[in-house]
Amino acid sequence: MYEAVHAYPDGESTVARLAKTAADYGFEGVVVRNGASARADFDADEIQEAYGVDVVSGVEVQTDDPQEAGGAVGNYRTDETVVVVAGGTNRMNRFAVENEKVDVLAHPMAGRGDVNHVMVKGAVEHGVRLEFDLASVLRVHGGRRVRAVQSLRKLWELVDYYDAPYVVSATPSSHLELRAPRELQAVGEQIGLSESAVAEGLAEWGRLAERNRRIHSESFIEPGVERGRYEEEP
Amino acid sequence: MKHLPKHLQPRWRYLAVGLEAWPDAEIDRRAFQREVWYAGQNLLGDPGSAAADLSVVSFAFADGEGDALVRVRRGETEPARAAIACIDEIDGATVGVRIRGISGTIRAAEENYLGRRGQVTEERNVVFGNEERVAVVCDGSADVRLDEAFAGATDLDCDLA
Repeated sequence: MYEAVHAYPDGESTVARLAKTAADYGFEGVVVRNGASARADFDADEIQEAYGVDVVSGVEVQTDDPQEAGGAVGNYRTDETVVVVAGGTNRMNRFAVENEKVDVLAHPMAGRGDVNHVMVKGAVEHGVRLEFDLASVLRVHGGRRVRAVQSLRKLWELVDYYDAPYVVSATPSSHLELRAPRELQAVGEQIGLSESAVAEGLAEWGRLAERNRRIHSESFIEPGVERGRYEEEP
Repeated sequence: MKHLPKHLQPRWRYLAVGLEAWPDAEIDRRAFQREVWYAGQNLLGDPGSAAADLSVVSFAFADGEGDALVRVRRGETEPARAAIACIDEIDGATVGVRIRGISGTIRAAEENYLGRRGQVTEERNVVFGNEERVAVVCDGSADVRLDEAFAGATDLDCDLA
């Protein structure tokens, strides 16, 4: 299972510290999803060696303008393993689910954002994962939390019906905001996502990273065409 | 009031909770208990938190690190786990919370998950330095009672008499 984190300077803890805590908590890896203006500086191999946690580089495109986002997604697609687009407005949600280059639409229900059947079908068609952001359940109180739980339930009903791809994250920005998989599963159970759905959503980050790494690797030329083993000339 | 017969006493489970915070954080037991109950009430509602109980049995916190034991009714451990996971701040200090494990007794929870000293066995007669002595043996280490003082030893140093 993987967790997608905001690391220093986007968050309060460095990638290494988040990876150390994640290893403690039983995660297999972390996806660094810093915003484009606050990129983290880290050595994935060194961290992997020290803590045994896979570190996946990624980016979260945060803007309100689909045109600008389109440019940013194109720029980062070749360098970053995971490209996340921050949702939260209907325009950005529409943009993200209709763009094949986008891996994950993050917190689609945040702010004034909403999701309907058209968008979920779009996400299925273009292979964009919808994110269940548990941050507002874990770290918000009162009426805003009630609305957050409501919107997660609505999203789950749509995702479940159309069998859409999804990821789950607590979106931690420091090692103190990380929660172990068992805890996230228990929280999911309380708010109407099943335990197995949360586990599946956490594992999906890992599958996503593995798929994109394969596509980015040199042996991959295009879908269906890969560099293989060749017969030696006698 | 007379206590309940054993088969009517509630069955408890003890959640060993690990706490982490920035080094300048100050958290006391009272504040932690309040947050646990608030979290339970907010996530599980009044009936849910009543069913879970969620009372803090032991608490220790210093220099940004600590641990606690939370008592929960058997069968309500998963809701309790969810409620405790939703604690993000105690007295304005951000905290990281983790359930290290669940046990059926306080002692087992402390020994297995809070790194407390293992069970103290009864005093035993051992041979230490060619003389028969009394020692308190615990988890491989033995405190041997000499004439005036104690000697710290392990079970490698002494033979059982």
